[in-house]
Amino acid sequence: MATALRRRSLAYLLLAPGTLWLVIFFVIPLYFMAKLSLDTEIPGTLHYHFTWAWSNYKEALQLYDTQFVRSFIYAGIATLLCLIIAYPLAYVIAFKAGRWRSLMLFAVVAPFFTTYLVRTLAWKTILSNESPITEIFHAIGLAPSGHILYTGFAVIAGITYNFLPFMVLPLYASLERIDVRVLEASKDLYASASSTFWKVTLPLSLPGVVAGTLLTFIPAVGDYVNAEFLGGANNRMIGNVIQSLYLTQSNYSAASALSFVLMAVIMIVVFIYIRFAGSEALMGQEAV
Amino acid sequence: MSTTATTAVSERDITPGRGSLSAETGPARAWRWLREHAVNIAAVLVVIYLLIPIAVIFIFSFNNPAGRYNFTWVGFTLSHWSHPFANTELTEAMLTSIRLALLATVVSTIVGTMMAIALVRHKFVGRRIANFLIVIPMATPEVVMGASLLSFFLVLGTPALGFTTLLIAHVMFCISFVVVVVRSRLIGFDRSLEEAAKDLGAGPFTTFRLITFPLILPGIFGAAMLAFALSIDDFVISNFNSGTTVTFPLYIFGAAQRGIPVEVYVVAMILFFVTVAAMGFATWQQRRAERMTSIRPEQEEADIVLPGIA
Amino acid sequence: METSGSAKKGARRLAIALAGLAVAVGLAACGSGIEGPVEATGAKVELEKKATGNLVISNWPLYIDKKTVPNFEKATGVTVEYHEDINSNEEFFNKMQPLLSAGESGGRSIFVLADYMVAKMIKLGYLQELDKTAMPEVAANMSKALRHPPFDPERNYSVPWQSGMTGLIVNKELAPEVHSICDLFNPKYKGKVDFLNEVRETVPLVMKCMGIDTEKATEADWMKAIAKIKAAAVGGQISRFTGNDYAQDLTSGNAVAVMGWSGDAVQLQIDNPNLEWRMPTQGCMLWSEDMIIPVGAPNPTAAEAFMNYVYKPEVQANITEYVNYVTPVEGVKEVLLKREPKLAANHLIFPSASFTKNCSPTPTLEGKEEKNVIRAFDEVLNG
Repeated sequence: MATALRRRSLAYLLLAPGTLWLVIFFVIPLYFMAKLSLDTEIPGTLHYHFTWAWSNYKEALQLYDTQFVRSFIYAGIATLLCLIIAYPLAYVIAFKAGRWRSLMLFAVVAPFFTTYLVRTLAWKTILSNESPITEIFHAIGLAPSGHILYTGFAVIAGITYNFLPFMVLPLYASLERIDVRVLEASKDLYASASSTFWKVTLPLSLPGVVAGTLLTFIPAVGDYVNAEFLGGANNRMIGNVIQSLYLTQSNYSAASALSFVLMAVIMIVVFIYIRFAGSEALMGQEAV
Repeated sequence: MSTTATTAVSERDITPGRGSLSAETGPARAWRWLREHAVNIAAVLVVIYLLIPIAVIFIFSFNNPAGRYNFTWVGFTLSHWSHPFANTELTEAMLTSIRLALLATVVSTIVGTMMAIALVRHKFVGRRIANFLIVIPMATPEVVMGASLLSFFLVLGTPALGFTTLLIAHVMFCISFVVVVVRSRLIGFDRSLEEAAKDLGAGPFTTFRLITFPLILPGIFGAAMLAFALSIDDFVISNFNSGTTVTFPLYIFGAAQRGIPVEVYVVAMILFFVTVAAMGFATWQQRRAERMTSIRPEQEEADIVLPGIA
Repeated sequence: METSGSAKKGARRLAIALAGLAVAVGLAACGSGIEGPVEATGAKVELEKKATGNLVISNWPLYIDKKTVPNFEKATGVTVEYHEDINSNEEFFNKMQPLLSAGESGGRSIFVLADYMVAKMIKLGYLQELDKTAMPEVAANMSKALRHPPFDPERNYSVPWQSGMTGLIVNKELAPEVHSICDLFNPKYKGKVDFLNEVRETVPLVMKCMGIDTEKATEADWMKAIAKIKAAAVGGQISRFTGNDYAQDLTSGNAVAVMGWSGDAVQLQIDNPNLEWRMPTQGCMLWSEDMIIPVGAPNPTAAEAFMNYVYKPEVQANITEYVNYVTPVEGVKEVLLKREPKLAANHLIFPSASFTKNCSPTPTLEGKEEKNVIRAFDEVLNG
């Protein structure tokens, strides 16, 4: 009994610093932000007082509903593109790469080692009006106006690129866990390559698809760097709005309201998604 | 794992006759050959796509722009590589970033590892809540985390936003990732060794020091690398909570207004090569550790590279 | 039985501890920070006899030549920490504001900010009143036109750093017909036009195109101009809203005509001779940015010594040569006539009265009007 008790208090002791850090600097700030989102500014000062001003939410959403919807659309398209681009790569790394595997995995994580902003600025160069890439896209009719930079296309391209590794790695991890003998069994039973893929490989890799989708979609919705550097006047996302409301306009209550709605909507989307697709990918395995 | 997989297949294969012999005729085989290679070709294209911007950064680090703007190629020069730290503002920002990332890594790795051990090795009331507390920050967009932390500092009236508030923020968003990485290592861990140690009369702390810790060390190391990478690259949360302290990403964001100096590309490449070298070293270390203990002979590189993601 | 009991006890203890912590944090929140009363603290600088020690300056990037700071250090023995950490008036102000309201300046002794921001800070009591007796060069050489601005009629708080004009920067080859702000709305240049993200410059320029007198404009006039800008942004006419980064759009061909600042144009011509600043047919906007000493600033003596130093025409000439904006110091033209006659003849650096006859000062917005206009414009910026 005594050892059990000691073990338990040891558990709390081990848990305490991290928990306290997360509670003080993550949970309590959310509470303060919630409070701030219901504050009203005292006119002529830079100070706020608490008034249950639900109108902050209404006003902010009325002004910025377009950016809200746009963020979800951009992030959704980018996530889908990531999935389409990442799957073949993850598949090849898992089943076909052989001795090239390490090198290909390295290529996947290499972008992480160059600073996010520098990477995005490199895309600015790649997509600028004078770049050959833009000319190719123009020639094949994908950029009818002759420019890509400062369009929604550029923003989505940037997001897709920047979050691609978040899709490839979980996909690879789940594909790699598939027992190759299962695939061979499928072949032995005269399943065609495509039916083996659709009926065996893909279902078995679903946890990776779920994890990858979430890991891509969540940061993509709140992103503002891509829209800042690659987007034009009509491509700002909700992250840009929150950022500018906080940092340049000091309109803290509207910004807090938007942040809260953003978080709530993401949570809802994620929970619905997990309902359909299973939760182990996000929550991780429980201890045995 | 493999048992569930087998059942899934066998269930499906009860439905008869999908793959028939006709699929093996000449054109079909050619088609399949092409398709199999199409996957490979697609994969290679994606790899190229992933590396293009890095190549662009590398190339433009040798550019010799006429004016202030490093956006169009003008000519080749080595001058920026020979004086990568000539720009004092940039160098200072880089040093701030490194100092910040090192501190954030140390703190978050220690705190996160403790949490992971508690979560995997101990049963206690509130474990679900603790798990939830770890997942939620990872499911929160950075902009919301940054904004809420700034709200907190503003409402508290913290006057001096700066290095301390940055450190607080960075540790905050690193903890969850550290916990997840170390936890995955602890879960796939052969406990019989610990029991053997206990049977041989080792106390719990001796067991931890001599058995548990060395075995989860690669996981801790991977977690630390991930924390360092997250911290040194963070822009969004830092932008909210930096006050007037300038980190490397914040410097770039400010400089982007006026034209990025070429040194930024040089420093970014140096950072790239250093991280690649560190990762190579870590992989080598881990392989060695695996070989010495050979607890899990089938350990794959992915777990080393970015285990938190998987 | 016993185990689960003590586990519960442990959890309860944790819960109580956390609750206590939350209460403590909540209590600490009362009466401080942005939720609570306002304290204004304006005072006059207290000077020592001789400038010594350390001086920290915050300014915009690329806004000073490489020689002035070291020369000042040599001349006075003061060591200068010169930060180029201002990229936006609002952002810098918001970052400093919590410090300023606590009577601190983050160790900095000089900020350089736009007129309207200086006006706001004077009202909030965030600035120290200057001791003008310690700055004879400023008294002697400040340009006549800048001596009595409405927000600081006797220049008790601010000393102009540089002035400038906001007008058009065009690519002569690709957008030859752009001469007025209205031409930026020409569908021929759809998607190739950048507007500034500065409400006090962009909106008045568009009002000028609409024939509205910017100095008498009502809130309704502002809103009309903003609506016009919004329509152009939504319709794809305006590629994006920028700060100085329009420069890179012009050099890389992403834009052919922009709203831009005079000093940048002089620099840009070095990169691309096809780029030129044009005075809009309806006139330009005039602005200046001022040096100020914030509350709680250490070493105001050295700060004033620096302000005085850069008002020596010989010193200011170096700055002018580098930044190419309109100098607030008289006598610089004479110095440059000997040194670099080409610059002295440049009407973007030394504009004549007739050149700027249609130009207007950047308007100051106030109170509710300011709030409404800024909100409306920001909605357009965040399109």
